[in-house]
Amino acid sequence: MSRASDTLQARAEVLKLARMLGREPSSLAYLETVPLADVRTLRAQITQALWSPDGSGIGKLAAAAKLLPAGLSATISERALGPVISAQLAARLEPSRAVDVAAKLPTPFLADVAIELDPRRTSAVIAGIPPQRIGEITAELVARGEYVTMGQFVGHLDDDALRAALGAMDNAGVLRVGFVLEDKGGLDRLLALMAPGRITGIIGAAAEADLWLEALDLLGHLGPARRRQMIASARSLDDSVLERIVATVVEHELWPEARLIAERDPRLEAKLGLARS
Amino acid sequence: MTGRKPERELAALRERLGSEPPQGLHALTGAQLADLTTAITEARRRQREALAAAGDRALNHVPRFLRGPIRRVAG
Repeated sequence: MSRASDTLQARAEVLKLARMLGREPSSLAYLETVPLADVRTLRAQITQALWSPDGSGIGKLAAAAKLLPAGLSATISERALGPVISAQLAARLEPSRAVDVAAKLPTPFLADVAIELDPRRTSAVIAGIPPQRIGEITAELVARGEYVTMGQFVGHLDDDALRAALGAMDNAGVLRVGFVLEDKGGLDRLLALMAPGRITGIIGAAAEADLWLEALDLLGHLGPARRRQMIASARSLDDSVLERIVATVVEHELWPEARLIAERDPRLEAKLGLARS
Repeated sequence: MTGRKPERELAALRERLGSEPPQGLHALTGAQLADLTTAITEARRRQREALAAAGDRALNHVPRFLRGPIRRVAG
């Protein structure tokens, strides 16, 4: 069901790998044929090989950073180290210390660091950033279209931080982030934090921005109650929108997901029946 | 593609990674595996150079009286 989202995530993984290796993404296109989980493992292995504490020098830099006040560390991060090294340093500092340094950095630079960060190794740092700041960083990442980066962070944020992040994006952004979420089990939790009125607006956002692949993928991962809430507004969709849903269903073979809407809309059910025959 | 299993290239990648490459990579050709190993080797060299340069730049922002202790810690 999520082949298309796997493809998108595999591309994003290859893009991150290319960035890490200083290569053009197209030169590593052969990795897009490798299963997504294996590309992720490979990226973790390469990170380890490049940044192992012994010999890479990053451990010494972290030891030196511990001697400096947070404000000075922040200045050095921004002006001398840059986002790639700062992201690695964040994983090696005491989380409370890394949070203090982050508090003194400008939001655009924190967004740069977030893109390079490995959330699995910096979960405690991410959890320590105040919700308001998470909202500001999210707004910056949304402006840059960094949905895959945001998708990697969702599982590491508490409810208040997630609410702040949701407040910084529109419903189309929610659909795009949800589509590339690493753990799709988090989708129900994400939507539970949204106001009911906003959930019914998601279908409208899908229609407006032609994000039916994302919307159908989302529907397929929600519990029954949340799903009902979301498709309540689907009945008012006009004919051209229904055609787009059918085209997405046919292209990506999302028949079970489409049926979730179709059972509430006989017009869509009829169109799906025609497309299948 | 010759059909030959690229054992030599896989071994080189294994050594570069310091761990067993994921199973999915075994389906790549020898040339692709060799390219990947080269990319990692070059990135490692560039990264060492970048870290050394960043360390030097960082020292310029540190007050003079702290540079001695910092140099001792950072080697």
